[in-house]
Amino acid sequence: MATLTWHGSSYPTQVLVLTGRSLRALLRTPLLVFFSVLQPLIMLTLFSQIFGSITSTANFPPGMTYINYLLPAILVNTAMQSSLASGIGLVQDMSNGVLARFRSLPIRPSTVLLARNLSDAVRTAFQLLLMITFGVLVFGFRPDGGMLGTLAALGLALVVGWALSWVFIAIAAWVRKAELMQTVGFLAMFPLMFASSAFVPVGGLPGWLQAIAKINPLTYAVDAARSLALAHPVTGVVGALVTSGAIAVVGAFMAIRGFRRPLSI
Amino acid sequence: MSELMIEATEVSKRFGDVHALDGVSVTAKKGSVLGLLGHNGAGKTTLVNILTTMLPPSGGSARVAGFDVVKQSHEVRSRIGLTGQFAAVDEQLSGHDNLVLIARLLGASRKQAHQRADDLLEQFDLTDAAKRNAKTYSGGMRRRLDLAASLVGSPEVLFLDEPTTGLDPASRLAMWEIVEKLVADGTTVLLTTQYLDEADRLADTITVLSQGKVVASGTSAELKAQVGQRTVTVTLDSASDVDTALKAINAVGLHPVAEGLTLTTPVNASRDLATVVRALDDNGLEAHEIGLAEPTLDDVYLTLAAN
Repeated sequence: MATLTWHGSSYPTQVLVLTGRSLRALLRTPLLVFFSVLQPLIMLTLFSQIFGSITSTANFPPGMTYINYLLPAILVNTAMQSSLASGIGLVQDMSNGVLARFRSLPIRPSTVLLARNLSDAVRTAFQLLLMITFGVLVFGFRPDGGMLGTLAALGLALVVGWALSWVFIAIAAWVRKAELMQTVGFLAMFPLMFASSAFVPVGGLPGWLQAIAKINPLTYAVDAARSLALAHPVTGVVGALVTSGAIAVVGAFMAIRGFRRPLSI
Repeated sequence: MSELMIEATEVSKRFGDVHALDGVSVTAKKGSVLGLLGHNGAGKTTLVNILTTMLPPSGGSARVAGFDVVKQSHEVRSRIGLTGQFAAVDEQLSGHDNLVLIARLLGASRKQAHQRADDLLEQFDLTDAAKRNAKTYSGGMRRRLDLAASLVGSPEVLFLDEPTTGLDPASRLAMWEIVEKLVADGTTVLLTTQYLDEADRLADTITVLSQGKVVASGTSAELKAQVGQRTVTVTLDSASDVDTALKAINAVGLHPVAEGLTLTTPVNASRDLATVVRALDDNGLEAHEIGLAEPTLDDVYLTLAAN
């Protein structure tokens, strides 16, 4: 027998190889990629058409087109949905046996989580770029912040999604049930999405919804992304980044703890 | 001196109130095959999980390739291969990419990893399917890829958890030949199985587990001597006949066990079949069905339970 002396790779190599693995798997399932992009595209199309008349209401910033208002919110929203998919992806890995194989190898368990998180960030970045492209080419997205402001908004959405992805990875590491996560995740996101400044100005919401929207973190993330893309006085960007960072740290900590537990009993 | 590659001492594992393993001790010398025989729920997989560092034991200690499975789990993991009951391959990747992935994680360079993947694919007759997604593989191909994946790092100790369950006879035979070749090359193998013939063919020593305890261990020959080579099964027409037959066969020095209308009697020689028939005949009993069967795992349990 050939005597091979491979006794484990370095931490960065493990993360890099595992991230590559997830991305490669993604490329090999183009249909899945197509649908993951289709959903936010449909949302962009429908919402831009349905809510277009909002621009003529009293609370709407005068002189702004609805697509300019909507797109930064869609970016944040897409990143959020993507983070849920990140957790579900981990559960699927757990159930199809690949993670059992990884566990029998001399690698650190946290690298598996980090790779999941990173590869999903890359996927999300791709989704967001596509959203912007469509926004510009099809719907006439012309933000005052220009390319730079728009990319900054994309970056912010990415950071928010990345942080939430740690939360869902943590939930996945503890709960380990894809269907449950899908249902509960969607139930949690749906109201969060609408009870915010994402689609209409908060001032236009009924009083009780305004109260919710004002404490909804998504409102702050959307407002921050919007201020970057539209070159408004930048509000809450630092706050959003700091909050995301804090969420990510707690999420990652919980994820690694939960993931250490044995796979199956 | 022969080196012990697997050494479990009084290993126990509790899940709540359930004792999945209760003071199990096994050893395997370098280059030998240890067969773990037992039904579902006997504790085979739990022991494999502990020895492969996937589960911490509740009590006792274990060393694999000379390293403690709890305190030196990383050292253990870099010297073992594991093929579980369910093929642990990434279905979204090709066979080739699956193996490259493992090799890279083990520390191979890109070039080495591709080389190793190609070698293994050829060895396991998967070269033609190398570029296809593992999702499209048949059950036998998937198992072979899984086994190949656990051999990427040329492990010193290989754990095979029911490697042939669900395989067709030809794939089963192919798997046996692969294992024999590995052992000839010096790999130590721990194999769990529900099939006596598999343990018989591959294992140097066999440990029988039942409800988390070792109920027998030894070489295949020793175990068979203990079990009896064969069993005689007799099916009768009524429950009262069963009682009479139990007494009659006991009286001639054999130990039948009744289940419903069927009596199973472990026997040592073929003339014991005649003894059983004579005992029935002497008592005016007519058997509905009578047969001689090769020992199965059930018989091992029956005999061990009867002793």
